[in-house]
Amino acid sequence: MSEGILVANLDDIAEGEGIAIDKSITGTDDNIALLRDDDGAVWALDDTCTHETASLAEGWVEDGHVECPLHASKFCLKSGDVQGLPATRNTCPHRVEIRDGGIWLFPNETP
Amino acid sequence: MSSTCSVVIVGGGIGGVSTAAALRNRGFLGDLTIVDAGELPYDRPPLSKDYLAGRKSLDDIALQSPDWYDDQSITLRNNTTVAALRADSGTVELTTGEQLRADRVVLATGGQAVRPRLPGAGIDALHVLRSAEDADNLRKVLLPGARILVVGAGLIGAEVASTALHLGADVTLVDPLAEPLSAAIGRDAAEWLHSVHAANGITTITAGIDGFEKTTDGIRTYLRGEPHHFDAVVLGVGMTPNTQLAEWAGLAVDRGIIVSAGQLTSNPAVLAVGDPTRRTVDGAVRKRAEHWEAAQHDGARAAATILGLSLPAETAPWFWTDRHGLHVEAVGQMSAATTAVTRGAIGEPPFAVFGIRHGNVVSAAAVNDSNAVRAARRLIDRAIAVDCRQLGDPGVDLRKLLRA
Repeated sequence: MSEGILVANLDDIAEGEGIAIDKSITGTDDNIALLRDDDGAVWALDDTCTHETASLAEGWVEDGHVECPLHASKFCLKSGDVQGLPATRNTCPHRVEIRDGGIWLFPNETP
Repeated sequence: MSSTCSVVIVGGGIGGVSTAAALRNRGFLGDLTIVDAGELPYDRPPLSKDYLAGRKSLDDIALQSPDWYDDQSITLRNNTTVAALRADSGTVELTTGEQLRADRVVLATGGQAVRPRLPGAGIDALHVLRSAEDADNLRKVLLPGARILVVGAGLIGAEVASTALHLGADVTLVDPLAEPLSAAIGRDAAEWLHSVHAANGITTITAGIDGFEKTTDGIRTYLRGEPHHFDAVVLGVGMTPNTQLAEWAGLAVDRGIIVSAGQLTSNPAVLAVGDPTRRTVDGAVRKRAEHWEAAQHDGARAAATILGLSLPAETAPWFWTDRHGLHVEAVGQMSAATTAVTRGAIGEPPFAVFGIRHGNVVSAAAVNDSNAVRAARRLIDRAIAVDCRQLGDPGVDLRKLLRA
Protein backbone atom coordinates (compact mmCIF):
# COMPACT_ATOMS: atom_id res chain seq x y z
CA MET A 1 0.00 0.00 0.00
CA SER A 2 1.67 3.20 -1.17
CA GLU A 3 1.11 6.60 0.41
CA GLY A 4 -0.54 8.03 -2.65
CA ILE A 5 0.19 11.20 -4.58
CA LEU A 6 -1.72 14.48 -4.35
CA VAL A 7 -2.25 15.14 -8.07
CA ALA A 8 -5.04 17.70 -8.35
CA ASN A 9 -7.84 19.49 -6.56
CA LEU A 10 -11.43 18.42 -6.97
CA ASP A 11 -12.21 21.87 -8.39
CA ASP A 12 -9.74 21.26 -11.24
CA ILE A 13 -12.12 18.84 -12.96
CA ALA A 14 -15.67 19.73 -13.99
CA GLU A 15 -18.29 17.01 -13.75
CA GLY A 16 -18.35 15.05 -17.00
CA GLU A 17 -14.74 15.87 -17.81
CA GLY A 18 -11.24 14.63 -17.15
CA ILE A 19 -7.60 15.63 -16.90
CA ALA A 20 -4.48 13.62 -17.66
CA ILE A 21 -1.73 13.25 -15.04
CA ASP A 22 1.69 12.77 -16.63
CA LYS A 23 3.48 9.47 -16.11
CA SER A 24 6.51 11.36 -14.78
CA ILE A 25 4.32 12.17 -11.76
CA THR A 26 2.48 8.86 -11.47
CA GLY A 27 5.48 6.63 -12.16
CA THR A 28 3.34 4.40 -14.35
CA ASP A 29 3.86 3.19 -17.95
CA ASP A 30 1.04 5.36 -19.26
CA ASN A 31 -0.35 8.71 -18.19
CA ILE A 32 -3.35 8.39 -15.89
CA ALA A 33 -6.72 9.98 -16.69
CA LEU A 34 -8.64 11.40 -13.74
CA LEU A 35 -12.28 11.28 -14.80
CA ARG A 36 -15.12 12.96 -12.93
CA ASP A 37 -18.50 11.35 -13.43
CA ASP A 38 -21.69 13.39 -13.65
CA ASP A 39 -22.48 12.37 -10.06
CA GLY A 40 -19.25 14.08 -8.94
CA ALA A 41 -17.23 10.91 -8.21
CA VAL A 42 -13.63 10.80 -9.45
CA TRP A 43 -12.10 7.71 -11.07
CA ALA A 44 -8.70 6.97 -12.57
CA LEU A 45 -7.83 4.88 -15.64
CA ASP A 46 -4.81 4.49 -17.89
CA ASP A 47 -5.13 7.48 -20.20
CA THR A 48 -4.43 5.93 -23.59
CA CYS A 49 -7.34 4.16 -25.27
CA THR A 50 -6.58 0.47 -25.87
CA HIS A 51 -7.77 0.81 -29.49
CA GLU A 52 -5.78 3.70 -31.00
CA THR A 53 -3.70 6.53 -29.59
CA ALA A 54 -6.17 8.89 -27.94
CA SER A 55 -6.45 10.42 -24.47
CA LEU A 56 -9.43 9.20 -22.45
CA ALA A 57 -9.06 12.37 -20.34
CA GLU A 58 -10.43 14.21 -23.37
CA GLY A 59 -13.39 11.83 -23.66
CA TRP A 60 -17.04 12.10 -22.76
CA VAL A 61 -17.67 11.06 -19.13
CA GLU A 62 -21.22 10.09 -18.19
CA ASP A 63 -23.15 7.57 -16.16
CA GLY A 64 -20.22 5.44 -14.98
CA HIS A 65 -18.44 5.35 -18.34
CA VAL A 66 -15.93 7.25 -20.44
CA GLU A 67 -16.26 7.36 -24.23
CA CYS A 68 -12.99 7.69 -26.17
CA PRO A 69 -12.81 10.98 -28.14
CA LEU A 70 -11.66 9.17 -31.28
CA HIS A 71 -13.92 6.21 -32.07
CA ALA A 72 -16.21 6.16 -29.04
CA SER A 73 -14.94 2.94 -27.45
CA LYS A 74 -16.54 2.86 -24.01
CA PHE A 75 -14.86 1.92 -20.71
CA CYS A 76 -16.28 1.40 -17.22
CA LEU A 77 -14.89 4.14 -14.94
CA LYS A 78 -14.65 1.82 -11.96
CA SER A 79 -13.23 -1.37 -13.48
CA GLY A 80 -11.66 -0.17 -16.74
CA ASP A 81 -13.57 -2.94 -18.53
CA VAL A 82 -14.28 -2.24 -22.20
CA GLN A 83 -18.02 -1.91 -22.83
CA GLY A 84 -18.11 -1.25 -26.54
CA LEU A 85 -16.13 -1.79 -29.75
CA PRO A 86 -13.91 -0.90 -31.53
CA ALA A 87 -11.60 -1.40 -28.51
CA THR A 88 -11.47 -5.03 -27.36
CA ARG A 89 -9.03 -4.83 -24.45
CA ASN A 90 -9.78 -3.52 -20.94
CA THR A 91 -7.84 -0.59 -19.58
CA CYS A 92 -6.26 -0.43 -16.12
CA PRO A 93 -8.06 1.26 -13.19
CA HIS A 94 -6.24 3.00 -10.34
CA ARG A 95 -7.47 3.86 -6.84
CA VAL A 96 -8.39 7.45 -5.99
CA GLU A 97 -9.14 9.08 -2.64
CA ILE A 98 -10.56 12.53 -2.00
CA ARG A 99 -9.18 14.24 1.12
CA ASP A 100 -10.06 17.85 1.98
CA GLY A 101 -10.81 18.68 -1.63
CA GLY A 102 -7.56 17.13 -2.84
CA ILE A 103 -7.41 14.18 -5.25
CA TRP A 104 -4.97 11.51 -4.10
CA LEU A 105 -3.93 8.92 -6.63
CA PHE A 106 -2.70 5.43 -5.74
CA PRO A 107 -1.19 4.15 -9.01
CA ASN A 108 -1.67 0.44 -9.73
CA GLU A 109 -3.87 -0.10 -6.68
CA THR A 110 -7.26 -1.64 -7.43
CA PRO A 111 -10.16 0.74 -6.65
CA MET B 1 -38.06 -15.32 -22.93
CA SER B 2 -38.64 -16.77 -26.39
CA SER B 3 -38.02 -20.42 -27.17
CA THR B 4 -35.20 -19.84 -29.67
CA CYS B 5 -32.57 -22.53 -29.18
CA SER B 6 -30.21 -21.93 -32.04
CA VAL B 7 -29.07 -18.97 -34.12
CA VAL B 8 -26.85 -18.98 -37.18
CA ILE B 9 -25.34 -15.65 -38.23
CA VAL B 10 -24.18 -15.43 -41.83
CA GLY B 11 -21.25 -13.00 -41.97
CA GLY B 12 -18.60 -11.91 -39.47
CA GLY B 13 -18.37 -8.16 -40.00
CA ILE B 14 -19.28 -5.60 -37.36
CA GLY B 15 -23.01 -6.39 -37.82
CA GLY B 16 -22.66 -10.15 -37.40
CA VAL B 17 -20.22 -10.05 -34.49
CA SER B 18 -22.26 -7.34 -32.74
CA THR B 19 -25.38 -9.50 -33.06
CA ALA B 20 -23.58 -12.43 -31.44
CA ALA B 21 -22.14 -10.26 -28.66
CA ALA B 22 -25.52 -8.68 -27.94
CA LEU B 23 -27.27 -12.07 -27.86
CA ARG B 24 -24.87 -13.37 -25.19
CA ASN B 25 -24.90 -10.06 -23.29
CA ARG B 26 -28.66 -10.14 -23.03
CA GLY B 27 -28.79 -13.73 -21.87
CA PHE B 28 -29.12 -15.98 -24.91
CA LEU B 29 -28.05 -19.47 -23.82
CA GLY B 30 -28.69 -21.43 -27.02
CA ASP B 31 -26.36 -22.56 -29.80
CA LEU B 32 -24.75 -19.65 -31.58
CA THR B 33 -22.79 -19.96 -34.81
CA ILE B 34 -21.11 -17.34 -37.00
CA VAL B 35 -20.30 -18.40 -40.56
CA ASP B 36 -17.58 -16.24 -42.11
CA ALA B 37 -15.53 -16.47 -45.28
CA GLY B 38 -12.33 -15.18 -43.62
CA GLU B 39 -9.91 -16.60 -41.07
CA LEU B 40 -10.93 -14.35 -38.12
CA PRO B 41 -13.52 -11.55 -38.24
CA TYR B 42 -11.84 -8.16 -38.47
CA ASP B 43 -12.76 -4.51 -38.28
CA ARG B 44 -12.98 -2.69 -41.62
CA PRO B 45 -12.40 1.01 -40.80
CA PRO B 46 -8.60 0.51 -40.38
CA LEU B 47 -8.39 -1.03 -43.88
CA SER B 48 -8.13 2.45 -45.43
CA LYS B 49 -5.86 3.81 -42.69
CA ASP B 50 -3.50 2.01 -40.28
CA TYR B 51 -3.86 -1.41 -41.93
CA LEU B 52 -3.32 0.00 -45.42
CA ALA B 53 -0.32 1.94 -44.15
CA GLY B 54 1.16 -1.27 -42.73
CA ARG B 55 1.05 0.06 -39.17
CA LYS B 56 -1.42 -2.60 -38.03
CA SER B 57 -1.67 -6.32 -38.81
CA LEU B 58 -4.76 -8.42 -39.34
CA ASP B 59 -4.40 -9.65 -35.73
CA ASP B 60 -4.33 -6.03 -34.52
CA ILE B 61 -7.65 -5.27 -36.19
CA ALA B 62 -9.50 -8.45 -35.14
CA LEU B 63 -13.02 -7.56 -33.98
CA GLN B 64 -12.52 -9.98 -31.10
CA SER B 65 -9.66 -12.23 -30.05
CA PRO B 66 -9.90 -15.95 -30.96
CA ASP B 67 -10.41 -16.72 -27.24
CA TRP B 68 -13.49 -14.52 -27.11
CA TYR B 69 -15.47 -16.92 -29.31
CA ASP B 70 -14.65 -19.80 -26.94
CA ASP B 71 -15.39 -17.72 -23.85
CA GLN B 72 -18.77 -16.72 -25.30
CA SER B 73 -19.55 -20.27 -26.52
CA ILE B 74 -19.80 -19.06 -30.10
CA THR B 75 -18.95 -21.52 -32.86
CA LEU B 76 -16.96 -19.65 -35.48
CA ARG B 77 -17.19 -21.45 -38.81
CA ASN B 78 -14.35 -19.56 -40.46
CA ASN B 79 -13.15 -19.91 -44.07
CA THR B 80 -16.69 -21.00 -44.84
CA THR B 81 -19.17 -19.66 -47.37
CA VAL B 82 -22.92 -20.10 -47.63
CA ALA B 83 -24.54 -21.41 -50.81
CA ALA B 84 -28.20 -21.05 -49.92
CA LEU B 85 -30.67 -20.13 -47.23
CA ARG B 86 -33.84 -22.17 -46.91
CA ALA B 87 -35.88 -19.85 -44.76
CA ASP B 88 -38.91 -22.10 -44.24
CA SER B 89 -36.92 -25.00 -42.85
CA GLY B 90 -34.38 -22.76 -41.08
CA THR B 91 -31.51 -24.30 -43.00
CA VAL B 92 -28.28 -22.64 -44.05
CA GLU B 93 -26.56 -24.67 -46.74
CA LEU B 94 -22.80 -24.27 -46.96
CA THR B 95 -20.87 -24.44 -50.24
CA THR B 96 -19.46 -27.76 -48.99
CA GLY B 97 -23.01 -29.14 -49.01
CA GLU B 98 -23.19 -29.29 -45.22
CA GLN B 99 -26.47 -28.05 -43.75
CA LEU B 100 -26.75 -25.97 -40.57
CA ARG B 101 -30.16 -25.96 -38.85
CA ALA B 102 -31.25 -22.94 -36.85
CA ASP B 103 -34.41 -21.55 -35.26
CA ARG B 104 -33.36 -18.10 -36.39
CA VAL B 105 -30.94 -17.03 -39.12
CA VAL B 106 -29.35 -13.57 -39.14
CA LEU B 107 -28.04 -12.30 -42.47
CA ALA B 108 -25.00 -10.07 -41.96
CA THR B 109 -23.77 -10.43 -45.51
CA GLY B 110 -22.27 -6.97 -46.01
CA GLY B 111 -21.56 -5.65 -49.45
CA GLN B 112 -19.03 -5.29 -52.20
CA ALA B 113 -17.20 -2.29 -53.52
CA VAL B 114 -18.85 -0.91 -56.64
CA ARG B 115 -16.95 -1.43 -59.88
CA PRO B 116 -18.73 0.90 -62.31
CA ARG B 117 -19.44 -0.55 -65.74
CA LEU B 118 -17.03 1.73 -67.59
CA PRO B 119 -14.74 0.85 -70.47
CA GLY B 120 -11.57 -0.61 -69.02
CA ALA B 121 -13.08 -1.30 -65.58
CA GLY B 122 -11.59 -4.81 -65.66
CA ILE B 123 -7.94 -3.67 -65.86
CA ASP B 124 -5.69 -5.30 -63.21
CA ALA B 125 -4.32 -2.01 -61.96
CA LEU B 126 -7.83 -0.85 -60.99
CA HIS B 127 -8.27 -1.42 -57.26
CA VAL B 128 -11.20 -1.28 -54.88
CA LEU B 129 -11.12 -1.45 -51.07
CA ARG B 130 -13.53 -3.53 -49.09
CA SER B 131 -11.56 -6.48 -47.67
CA ALA B 132 -8.16 -7.00 -46.07
CA GLU B 133 -7.11 -8.77 -49.26
CA ASP B 134 -8.04 -5.65 -51.27
CA ALA B 135 -5.91 -3.59 -48.87
CA ASP B 136 -2.97 -6.03 -49.21
CA ASN B 137 -3.13 -5.73 -53.00
CA LEU B 138 -3.41 -1.95 -52.87
CA ARG B 139 -0.52 -1.54 -50.41
CA LYS B 140 1.83 -3.20 -52.92
CA VAL B 141 1.30 -0.34 -55.38
CA LEU B 142 1.33 2.59 -52.93
CA LEU B 143 5.07 3.05 -53.35
CA PRO B 144 7.00 6.30 -53.02
CA GLY B 145 6.56 8.25 -56.24
CA ALA B 146 3.86 5.93 -57.65
CA ARG B 147 1.24 7.85 -59.61
CA ILE B 148 -2.06 6.95 -57.95
CA LEU B 149 -5.51 8.10 -59.00
CA VAL B 150 -8.23 7.86 -56.35
CA VAL B 151 -11.76 8.08 -57.75
CA GLY B 152 -14.32 9.29 -55.21
CA ALA B 153 -13.53 11.72 -52.39
CA GLY B 154 -16.22 10.72 -49.90
CA LEU B 155 -15.11 8.56 -46.98
CA ILE B 156 -13.02 5.63 -48.23
CA GLY B 157 -11.57 7.53 -51.21
CA ALA B 158 -10.50 10.48 -49.06
CA GLU B 159 -8.96 8.17 -46.44
CA VAL B 160 -7.09 6.12 -49.04
CA ALA B 161 -5.81 9.30 -50.70
CA SER B 162 -4.50 10.51 -47.33
CA THR B 163 -2.82 7.18 -46.53
CA ALA B 164 -1.31 6.93 -50.04
CA LEU B 165 0.09 10.45 -49.78
CA HIS B 166 1.67 9.77 -46.42
CA LEU B 167 3.26 6.60 -47.89
CA GLY B 168 4.95 8.86 -50.44
CA ALA B 169 2.74 8.28 -53.48
CA ASP B 170 1.96 11.02 -56.01
CA VAL B 171 -1.81 11.20 -55.50
CA THR B 172 -4.59 12.63 -57.66
CA LEU B 173 -8.10 12.65 -56.19
CA VAL B 174 -11.05 13.07 -58.51
CA ASP B 175 -14.72 13.51 -57.63
CA PRO B 176 -17.61 14.91 -59.66
CA LEU B 177 -18.57 17.09 -56.66
CA ALA B 178 -16.59 20.20 -55.72
CA GLU B 179 -17.47 19.69 -52.05
CA PRO B 180 -17.73 15.94 -51.38
CA LEU B 181 -19.51 15.04 -48.09
CA SER B 182 -21.44 18.32 -48.09
CA ALA B 183 -24.71 16.42 -47.65
CA ALA B 184 -23.33 14.89 -44.45
CA ILE B 185 -21.33 17.72 -42.88
CA GLY B 186 -22.58 20.90 -44.59
CA ARG B 187 -21.17 22.78 -47.57
CA ASP B 188 -18.70 25.12 -45.84
CA ALA B 189 -17.09 22.44 -43.67
CA ALA B 190 -17.00 20.08 -46.67
CA GLU B 191 -15.34 22.69 -48.87
CA TRP B 192 -12.61 23.27 -46.29
CA LEU B 193 -12.16 19.55 -45.53
CA HIS B 194 -11.71 18.81 -49.23
CA SER B 195 -9.19 21.67 -49.55
CA VAL B 196 -7.02 19.94 -46.92
CA HIS B 197 -6.10 17.33 -49.55
CA ALA B 198 -4.56 19.98 -51.83
CA ALA B 199 -2.91 21.73 -48.89
CA ASN B 200 -1.12 18.45 -48.13
CA GLY B 201 0.04 17.94 -51.70
CA ILE B 202 -2.73 15.92 -53.35
CA THR B 203 -3.91 17.08 -56.78
CA THR B 204 -7.69 17.43 -56.54
CA ILE B 205 -9.79 17.55 -59.70
CA THR B 206 -13.53 18.04 -59.96
CA ALA B 207 -14.57 15.77 -62.80
CA GLY B 208 -16.37 12.62 -63.82
CA ILE B 209 -14.67 9.61 -65.38
CA ASP B 210 -15.88 7.81 -68.48
CA GLY B 211 -13.37 5.01 -68.80
CA PHE B 212 -9.82 3.70 -68.51
CA GLU B 213 -7.27 2.50 -71.07
CA LYS B 214 -4.43 0.13 -70.37
CA THR B 215 -1.04 1.45 -71.47
CA THR B 216 2.42 -0.12 -71.52
CA ASP B 217 3.22 1.34 -68.10
CA GLY B 218 -0.12 1.74 -66.40
CA ILE B 219 -3.51 3.32 -66.97
CA ARG B 220 -4.63 6.34 -68.97
CA THR B 221 -7.83 8.22 -68.28
CA TYR B 222 -9.23 11.54 -69.39
CA LEU B 223 -10.02 14.16 -66.75
CA ARG B 224 -11.80 17.26 -68.06
CA GLY B 225 -10.73 16.21 -71.56
CA GLU B 226 -7.02 15.96 -70.72
CA PRO B 227 -5.19 12.61 -70.78
CA HIS B 228 -3.63 11.62 -67.43
CA HIS B 229 -1.36 8.64 -66.77
CA PHE B 230 -1.30 6.61 -63.58
CA ASP B 231 0.42 3.51 -62.25
CA ALA B 232 -2.73 2.43 -60.44
CA VAL B 233 -6.29 3.58 -59.80
CA VAL B 234 -8.40 3.10 -56.66
CA LEU B 235 -12.17 3.27 -57.02
CA GLY B 236 -13.95 4.52 -53.89
CA VAL B 237 -17.39 5.05 -55.33
CA GLY B 238 -19.67 3.18 -52.98
CA MET B 239 -20.92 -0.31 -52.24
CA THR B 240 -23.48 -2.74 -53.58
CA PRO B 241 -25.33 -4.74 -50.93
CA ASN B 242 -24.94 -8.52 -50.83
CA THR B 243 -28.61 -9.42 -51.15
CA GLN B 244 -28.34 -12.56 -53.23
CA LEU B 245 -28.96 -15.09 -50.42
CA ALA B 246 -32.00 -13.06 -49.36
CA GLU B 247 -33.33 -12.88 -52.91
CA TRP B 248 -32.87 -16.61 -53.51
CA ALA B 249 -34.70 -17.27 -50.23
CA GLY B 250 -37.62 -15.19 -51.48
CA LEU B 251 -37.24 -12.39 -48.93
CA ALA B 252 -38.37 -8.84 -49.74
CA VAL B 253 -35.44 -7.01 -51.35
CA ASP B 254 -35.44 -3.55 -52.90
CA ARG B 255 -31.90 -2.19 -53.30
CA GLY B 256 -31.33 -3.73 -49.87
CA ILE B 257 -32.91 -6.35 -47.65
CA ILE B 258 -36.11 -4.83 -46.29
CA VAL B 259 -36.31 -5.25 -42.51
CA SER B 260 -38.62 -4.12 -39.73
CA ALA B 261 -37.63 -1.70 -36.98
CA GLY B 262 -36.50 -4.80 -35.07
CA GLN B 263 -34.48 -6.19 -38.05
CA LEU B 264 -36.97 -8.91 -39.11
CA THR B 265 -37.01 -9.65 -42.83
CA SER B 266 -40.24 -10.53 -44.66
CA ASN B 267 -39.81 -14.05 -43.25
CA PRO B 268 -39.92 -13.90 -39.43
CA ALA B 269 -37.43 -16.79 -39.13
CA VAL B 270 -34.80 -14.60 -40.74
CA LEU B 271 -33.32 -11.31 -39.54
CA ALA B 272 -30.82 -9.09 -41.32
CA VAL B 273 -28.34 -6.48 -40.08
CA GLY B 274 -25.75 -4.01 -41.33
CA ASP B 275 -24.80 -2.64 -44.72
CA PRO B 276 -27.21 -4.61 -46.94
CA THR B 277 -30.34 -3.70 -44.98
CA ARG B 278 -33.01 -1.03 -45.25
CA ARG B 279 -34.94 -0.51 -42.02
CA THR B 280 -38.61 0.32 -41.93
CA VAL B 281 -39.29 2.89 -39.22
CA ASP B 282 -42.72 4.46 -38.70
CA GLY B 283 -43.91 2.93 -41.95
CA ALA B 284 -41.12 4.41 -44.09
CA VAL B 285 -38.33 2.34 -45.61
CA ARG B 286 -35.04 4.11 -44.95
CA LYS B 287 -32.01 4.24 -47.20
CA ARG B 288 -29.18 1.83 -46.42
CA ALA B 289 -27.21 3.32 -43.51
CA GLU B 290 -23.81 1.93 -44.57
CA HIS B 291 -22.02 3.02 -41.41
CA TRP B 292 -20.05 1.10 -38.79
CA GLU B 293 -22.08 2.12 -35.75
CA ALA B 294 -25.38 1.61 -37.57
CA ALA B 295 -24.43 -2.04 -38.12
CA GLN B 296 -23.57 -2.38 -34.45
CA HIS B 297 -26.96 -0.97 -33.45
CA ASP B 298 -28.67 -3.32 -35.92
CA GLY B 299 -27.00 -6.20 -34.12
CA ALA B 300 -28.26 -5.00 -30.74
CA ARG B 301 -31.80 -4.74 -32.14
CA ALA B 302 -31.66 -8.14 -33.82
CA ALA B 303 -30.59 -9.72 -30.53
CA ALA B 304 -33.42 -8.01 -28.65
CA THR B 305 -35.95 -9.19 -31.24
CA ILE B 306 -34.72 -12.79 -31.07
CA LEU B 307 -34.90 -12.74 -27.27
CA GLY B 308 -38.31 -11.02 -27.20
CA LEU B 309 -36.85 -8.10 -25.24
CA SER B 310 -37.46 -4.38 -25.72
CA LEU B 311 -35.44 -2.69 -28.46
CA PRO B 312 -32.64 -0.31 -27.45
CA ALA B 313 -33.59 3.39 -27.68
CA GLU B 314 -33.19 5.01 -31.10
CA THR B 315 -30.28 7.40 -31.44
CA ALA B 316 -29.23 9.85 -34.16
CA PRO B 317 -26.96 8.30 -36.83
CA TRP B 318 -23.24 8.92 -36.28
CA PHE B 319 -20.04 8.35 -38.22
CA TRP B 320 -16.41 9.35 -38.22
CA THR B 321 -13.62 9.68 -40.76
CA ASP B 322 -9.89 10.20 -40.21
CA ARG B 323 -7.63 11.81 -42.81
CA HIS B 324 -4.42 13.91 -42.80
CA GLY B 325 -4.33 13.65 -39.00
CA LEU B 326 -7.80 15.19 -38.64
CA HIS B 327 -10.64 13.43 -36.83
CA VAL B 328 -14.04 14.24 -38.29
CA GLU B 329 -17.38 13.22 -36.77
CA ALA B 330 -20.94 13.87 -37.80
CA VAL B 331 -24.31 13.07 -36.25
CA GLY B 332 -27.95 13.53 -37.20
CA GLN B 333 -29.55 14.70 -40.45
CA MET B 334 -27.87 17.76 -41.97
CA SER B 335 -30.62 17.95 -44.61
CA ALA B 336 -33.23 18.56 -41.93
CA ALA B 337 -31.53 21.78 -40.73
CA THR B 338 -32.83 25.22 -41.69
CA THR B 339 -30.00 27.23 -40.10
CA ALA B 340 -26.43 26.50 -39.05
CA VAL B 341 -24.46 27.57 -35.98
CA THR B 342 -20.67 27.43 -36.07
CA ARG B 343 -18.67 26.90 -32.88
CA GLY B 344 -15.13 28.10 -33.48
CA ALA B 345 -14.01 28.90 -37.02
CA ILE B 346 -14.35 26.59 -40.01
CA GLY B 347 -10.85 25.75 -41.15
CA GLU B 348 -9.30 26.21 -37.71
CA PRO B 349 -9.77 22.93 -35.83
CA PRO B 350 -11.18 22.30 -33.34
CA PHE B 351 -14.49 23.53 -34.72
CA ALA B 352 -18.07 22.30 -35.02
CA VAL B 353 -21.11 23.16 -37.10
CA PHE B 354 -24.58 22.50 -35.70
CA GLY B 355 -27.69 22.20 -37.85
CA ILE B 356 -30.78 23.77 -36.24
CA ARG B 357 -34.48 23.40 -36.95
CA HIS B 358 -37.21 25.05 -34.86
CA GLY B 359 -34.78 25.76 -32.01
CA ASN B 360 -33.53 22.17 -31.77
CA VAL B 361 -30.24 20.67 -32.86
CA VAL B 362 -30.84 18.18 -35.70
CA SER B 363 -27.25 17.60 -36.81
CA ALA B 364 -23.63 18.39 -36.04
CA ALA B 365 -20.27 17.93 -37.69
CA ALA B 366 -16.93 18.58 -36.03
CA VAL B 367 -13.25 18.44 -36.81
CA ASN B 368 -11.06 17.51 -33.83
CA ASP B 369 -13.95 18.32 -31.48
CA SER B 370 -15.73 15.03 -30.97
CA ASN B 371 -17.21 16.12 -27.64
CA ALA B 372 -19.25 18.75 -29.52
CA VAL B 373 -20.75 15.92 -31.55
CA ARG B 374 -21.25 13.71 -28.47
CA ALA B 375 -23.12 16.64 -26.87
CA ALA B 376 -25.12 17.26 -30.05
CA ARG B 377 -26.16 13.63 -30.20
CA ARG B 378 -27.62 13.87 -26.71
CA LEU B 379 -29.29 17.20 -27.51
CA ILE B 380 -30.90 15.55 -30.57
CA ASP B 381 -31.88 12.32 -28.82
CA ARG B 382 -33.40 14.14 -25.85
CA ALA B 383 -34.95 16.88 -28.02
CA ILE B 384 -33.54 19.62 -25.78
CA ALA B 385 -34.19 23.15 -27.06
CA VAL B 386 -31.00 25.22 -27.28
CA ASP B 387 -29.89 28.84 -27.26
CA CYS B 388 -27.92 29.25 -30.51
CA ARG B 389 -25.64 31.91 -29.02
CA GLN B 390 -24.56 29.54 -26.26
CA LEU B 391 -24.16 26.69 -28.72
CA GLY B 392 -21.83 28.78 -30.89
CA ASP B 393 -19.76 30.10 -27.98
CA PRO B 394 -16.62 27.95 -27.50
CA GLY B 395 -16.48 29.30 -23.94
CA VAL B 396 -19.76 27.60 -23.03
CA ASP B 397 -19.51 24.01 -21.80
CA LEU B 398 -21.93 22.05 -23.97
CA ARG B 399 -22.60 19.64 -21.12
CA LYS B 400 -24.34 22.52 -19.35
CA LEU B 401 -26.84 22.79 -22.22
CA LEU B 402 -27.74 19.15 -21.61
CA ARG B 403 -28.58 19.87 -18.00
CA ALA B 404 -30.78 22.85 -18.91
